Amino acid sequence: MSQLLPYLFLGLLLFAVLAWWVWDTIVHRAAAEVLAPHRSRVKSVASHRDLGERIFGPEDWDFVSRETSWEIHRMFQRERTVLAISWLRRTRLQVSQVMRAHLAVAQKSEDLKLTTEIRLAMSYLLFLVLCNSLIGWIRLLGPVRARKIVGQTLQWAAQLRGAFEQLMARVDPESCGVVGPNFNRGTVRS
Amino acid sequence: MSLERRNIDIEPAMTDLRSRTLSRLPGDFSRLVYLASSRDLSTGRYSHDGLAFHFSETVASKAMAACHTEVFDRLLFCSLEELIEELGKYISSTEVRPGDVLRSWKHLGSYRVTIPLECDEMAAEVFLSNVKIALAILQRRHESVLQDEQSA
Repeated sequence: MSQLLPYLFLGLLLFAVLAWWVWDTIVHRAAAEVLAPHRSRVKSVASHRDLGERIFGPEDWDFVSRETSWEIHRMFQRERTVLAISWLRRTRLQVSQVMRAHLAVAQKSEDLKLTTEIRLAMSYLLFLVLCNSLIGWIRLLGPVRARKIVGQTLQWAAQLRGAFEQLMARVDPESCGVVGPNFNRGTVRS
Repeated sequence: MSLERRNIDIEPAMTDLRSRTLSRLPGDFSRLVYLASSRDLSTGRYSHDGLAFHFSETVASKAMAACHTEVFDRLLFCSLEELIEELGKYISSTEVRPGDVLRSWKHLGSYRVTIPLECDEMAAEVFLSNVKIALAILQRRHESVLQDEQSA
C-alpha cells in the first residue's frame, strides 16, 4: 500500500495543477474580460494568425543572427519571448471563450451526446496543458526553438475550434459566430 | 454604416492624401510620423486644412485615420530589415543629428504615439517591440560609424 503513495501523490498533484489551469483560464480570464470590456471592442488592424506568423517567423531571427552582435541577439530573444507568451495567452483566451460559449449553449440544449462532450472536454483540457507547457517551453528556450511545436499546437487548436463550431451549429445555430475571423487557424511557419 | 460603405465615402479623400501629401514623404516611417503628428492626442481627430477644404473636416479626419492604419499595417508586417531601412530614411530626413534622434526616441519612447487609435493591442505590442529592436540596431551601427571616424 505504501508503494502506491507516491503515485497517488503525483496523481493528486497533476489533478490540482489541471484544476488550477482550468480555474485560471475559464474563471479568472472571464472576470478580467468583464472588467475590461473595451479591449474586445477594439477594431483589429491585423489578424491574430498573421501576428503569430510575424512573431514566430524565421526571417527576423535570420537577419538578427547574421547582422548583429550578441547583445542584440539577446535583446531580440527577450522581446520575442514576451510577445510569444502574450500571443499564446490570447490564443488560449480565445479557445476558452469558445468553450464558455459552448458550455452556456450546451446547458440549455436537450440534444447532447455525452461521449462527444467528454471527448471535447478532454481535448480542451489537453489543449490548456499544452498551451501552458508551451509558455514554459518558450520561457526556457525562446520562441525561435519552440517555433515548430507552437505551429503544431495551433493546428490542433484550430481543429478543436472546428469541432466546437460543428457542435455549436448542431446545438444552437444562432450563436455560431461567437469567435471572429481573427481566430488563429494554426499556420505558424516552421 | 458598414465599413465598405464608409470606405467608399472616404476613398477620394484617401487617394488625394496619398498622391498629394504622403507620396512626397521619404518612406513609410515618415508617413506614419506625419499622420500621427496630425492627430490631436486629446480627441483622436486628425486635421489637414487642404483635405478639409476639398472634402469636409470629418471626411478628411476619417481618410487620415484610414491611411494611418494602412501605413501602420505595412510597417507592422514588413521584416525587421525593412523596418530598419524605413526608420533610417526617416531619421536622415529630419534636420536633427541621427545620434540625437536615436537617443531621444529610445529614452522618451516617442514612437509610442505613432500607433493608430483603432489598433489591436497585440499588433501595437508587436510594432513597439520591433521599433525598439530596430532603434537598438541603428544605434549600434551609428556608434560603430562614429568610432571608425574617430580612429581614422
